[in-house]
Amino acid sequence: MNKRLHPEIIRHFHNTPFSTPIIGITGGKGGVGKSTVAVNLAAAFVAQGKRVALVDADVDAPNDSLLLGIPLENPQPVTIMQPIFDSAQCTDCQKCVKACQMNSLFRPKEKSITLMGECNGCEACYLVCPAGAISQGSHSVGTLYKTKRGKLTLYTGALQPGLAESALIVNAVGDAAFADAELFDIILVDTAPGTHCNVIGALKGARHVLAVTEPTPLGSHDLELILSLLDMFSIQRSVVINRANLPGQKEKVEQAAQAASAAIAAEIKLDKDLLAGYLEGTPVVDLLPNSAAAEIFLKMTDYLTATYLSPHNQTQQEQQL
Amino acid sequence: MKEIVILSGKGGVGKSSLTAALAHLLTENGKYRLTLADTDVDAPNLHIVLGAEFDRSTGVTASNKAIIDYDKCSRCMNCVSACAFDSIIGTEEPVIISYSCEGCGVCSLVCPEEAVSVHPVENGQINFVTSGTVRVVAGALGIGESSSGRLVDIVKRQARQEASLSGCDLLLTDGPPGIGCPVIAALKGADYAILVSEPTPSALSDLQRITEVVQGFKIPAGAVLNRSDMDPQSAQTTRDWLTGNELPLLGEIPYDPYLPQALARGNLGVKMYPDAPSSLAIKKLHKVVEGLLE
Repeated sequence: MNKRLHPEIIRHFHNTPFSTPIIGITGGKGGVGKSTVAVNLAAAFVAQGKRVALVDADVDAPNDSLLLGIPLENPQPVTIMQPIFDSAQCTDCQKCVKACQMNSLFRPKEKSITLMGECNGCEACYLVCPAGAISQGSHSVGTLYKTKRGKLTLYTGALQPGLAESALIVNAVGDAAFADAELFDIILVDTAPGTHCNVIGALKGARHVLAVTEPTPLGSHDLELILSLLDMFSIQRSVVINRANLPGQKEKVEQAAQAASAAIAAEIKLDKDLLAGYLEGTPVVDLLPNSAAAEIFLKMTDYLTATYLSPHNQTQQEQQL
Repeated sequence: MKEIVILSGKGGVGKSSLTAALAHLLTENGKYRLTLADTDVDAPNLHIVLGAEFDRSTGVTASNKAIIDYDKCSRCMNCVSACAFDSIIGTEEPVIISYSCEGCGVCSLVCPEEAVSVHPVENGQINFVTSGTVRVVAGALGIGESSSGRLVDIVKRQARQEASLSGCDLLLTDGPPGIGCPVIAALKGADYAILVSEPTPSALSDLQRITEVVQGFKIPAGAVLNRSDMDPQSAQTTRDWLTGNELPLLGEIPYDPYLPQALARGNLGVKMYPDAPSSLAIKKLHKVVEGLLE
């Protein structure tokens, strides 16, 4: 179902009003180690003296703060418009009920429009009301956090459990980090699992995306999906094979990567040190900086620094797009 | 017929593997009849875990999108400024970003030329898969698409129909990760939710978030601790949290290298290595699930 995207959409996707490079970390499948890679890369960049923004865009299950061992600070509500109905003004024309594509408006009796279902704040009801009976209230759908620790700033959002509108939080958390972009040398974005609109939303503006996977049939299947998504948007990409020594089908992962012209950026083996860092809430790069696992992340940052952080290459990148 | 849904909040903790193993054990010797629903429409993997045969597939229209008739469009860009989701862009003419369009129709309301309208579009498919006596109804969202919640609704409706037509005792749903719209859709109408976790701080945090959703919908639930021997301290923290929140621990499954080996061969651990530690633990858990069906 790969459709051609309008060139304007691809341009818009890659366009950022700042020059700080964005590196995305995604993977299609859940539980493959996206967040482990994201927090360790962040720690490795910090170890090299870089100012780093880490955006946790998995707003359904945000875990980067736990893996970094830093509590969430500076909560800010994410709000959307929610209609407020004034029955005194209502003429009972019910245009709002018809306009609501979510079928969330209900009229139990005369002049008593009630919001019964989900509201995504599109404002259709407000726009069509001829009597001025609808005003714009606001409604909190989640929370945004910004936590600063030395050279690392973590931007996280959390969807309010029971609500459906993850996309709004993903955009809000991205916008918060982008507003501060000039303060950083690099922005890392950790996405939700899957290949849906929230993942694309999170990867907006990414210069390079690391697709994390594992050598299982599920890993290679989902890797193929995410790589074709990255292809649709013409995003530079490479693959990180986590748990590379699992008894499985590494060759299928390698085939999928090759078919999508993605290099294997790193292989991470099942590693006690890495697991210890994960459980303890300290990136292995900080916990055991001389370990084999830490070395892999430090090496990855060297590559990313050389490719995306030097001014010369930056211009080249822009010319390519 | 009972409906049980398997959820976790966190991805990769073993929902699909557990769903497949339970399905195998419950239908062994024809004891129960069941239909499976794969509602992880972003990464539908249940068929891979089952090593199942592909049957047939149908396209699904689970989303409405705005479409512009450029012959009528006057390039006034009213639609660009009205869209609350920043889903219309453009400098010379408006372009709809289909993947983030929610189909709310505000653009068509503000268009003075009646050039924008909202239409249903095909954005996914439903695959019907057979594994032994078990039918699997699996949703697959198109790459880069939205409206996974509505696709999950359709998958569940189809699966429910399949299950009741073939006189099933159970509709077992493999849920998506997270707590957002597809999860809520997977959970709707369930009699019971099995929440899979593993002993790590992240998995506990996600378990807490999914529990809030499940309890919000007043659906009875119990938990399964997968890879339970991975970290004794985290395992104990999880057990304590479950006790404190009156969530029964239905079973614990130890980490077992036989499982990925079976998966790599497109087979089930419980089938290929019936005496492996994980298989024995899942068999015990399956008795508990049988208890839920009585």
